[in-house]
Amino acid sequence: MTNPIDGTETPATGFRLVVVSGGTSDPSSTRLLADRIAERTARLAGERAEQVHVSTIDLRDLAAEISSALVSQLLGPKLTRAVATLREADGIIASAPVYKAAPSGLFSSFFHVLDNDLLIGKPVILAATAGTARHALVVDNEMRALFAYLRTLTAPTAVFAASEDWNSGELGARIGRAAFEMLVLLESGFSHKIENESWQRYQHEYGSAGGTELGIDLGTDLMRLATGGSARPTGSS
Amino acid sequence: MPTVLALSSSPSRSSRSAAVAEYAVTALRSGGVDANHLRLRELDPSPLLAADTTHPEIESAVRAVAEADGILLATPTYKAAYSGLLKVFLDLLSQFAFAGKAVLPIATGGSPAHVLSLDYGLRPVVHSLGAWHVLQSLFVLDSQLDEALRPGEQLRSTLEGVLGDFTHALQAPSRTATIARSA
Repeated sequence: MTNPIDGTETPATGFRLVVVSGGTSDPSSTRLLADRIAERTARLAGERAEQVHVSTIDLRDLAAEISSALVSQLLGPKLTRAVATLREADGIIASAPVYKAAPSGLFSSFFHVLDNDLLIGKPVILAATAGTARHALVVDNEMRALFAYLRTLTAPTAVFAASEDWNSGELGARIGRAAFEMLVLLESGFSHKIENESWQRYQHEYGSAGGTELGIDLGTDLMRLATGGSARPTGSS
Repeated sequence: MPTVLALSSSPSRSSRSAAVAEYAVTALRSGGVDANHLRLRELDPSPLLAADTTHPEIESAVRAVAEADGILLATPTYKAAYSGLLKVFLDLLSQFAFAGKAVLPIATGGSPAHVLSLDYGLRPVVHSLGAWHVLQSLFVLDSQLDEALRPGEQLRSTLEGVLGDFTHALQAPSRTATIARSA
């Protein structure tokens, strides 16, 4: 089913897994790493008679809109679609290249412009690529901190790949471990239970969840005035 | 003569980080620096844990820190961080115990994957103790030492450069002097 507003495809059944790749080249090792994790998750799901639908947000296509959003708070059409895709996501694979001992600015900026509560409770596999093993801790120190702030559920296994790791069986084993963690988290329905049964227990910013964040009654006199309507005439009830 | 106190912080008797610290102390001495090595594992654990700075051993260690122009911190890497023994000792120092000093952080570890633990973990602590000049930290892979814990050729050559910079920093610990030198 296609959403008429943002054009996103909503599968009728199965889990929606979204790859967010901060890779800038084409082909990109950062994208390749995320794809490998997504494929493995889908394959594991298949073995359990479950379905995983993978969609991809390639941040290099959004670079201009992300930088506009950083300074203007306005989301362009591609960024709006990306946000809608993430809102519908059951799980996320977030993959970043490491520059200057930190995830790339493009990757970080994308998550900086998202609403704080867009990703609450969603399972995330963190992945990063670098030219050297010396930057492995970037994933745990910087990326995990960012996703903790966004209140996501990061899988215990993160996947870091330095140049020399690509041909090692160890990377494949790690990908399998992370993929299985993601699948179990998807099956648990954790994020949906949070959203349906506990959403109001989280702190929300004004406007970040279309009004549901505040539990306010827009039908009161004061709110009708505040939202551009008029108070009820005196005497009516 | 500038003074350096090397603090090695492995709880283990046979320690790579202590071996690197000892090697550095010997090299600094031959370069005209009054360098000494304090192995934190040899301090009496009970006053150390209780932060009892009136205990003679602890008092003398704290005084040695105060009198040094430079501090060399040598730590093993445990759980992607510096050792707990080092933190226990740093915790009993006064808030700005490293003010005016140059500090050289050195860690040993088995995997290059933990290199950044020095910059994520130890460096902020050293800055909070008021150090003026924290040098580029050095991560030593276990494989760079032989079975007798002697530094191999590559490590010896790295240390020569690192200790040379450290000695420079001792003579010009203030930021402006450091910038002037590197310009």
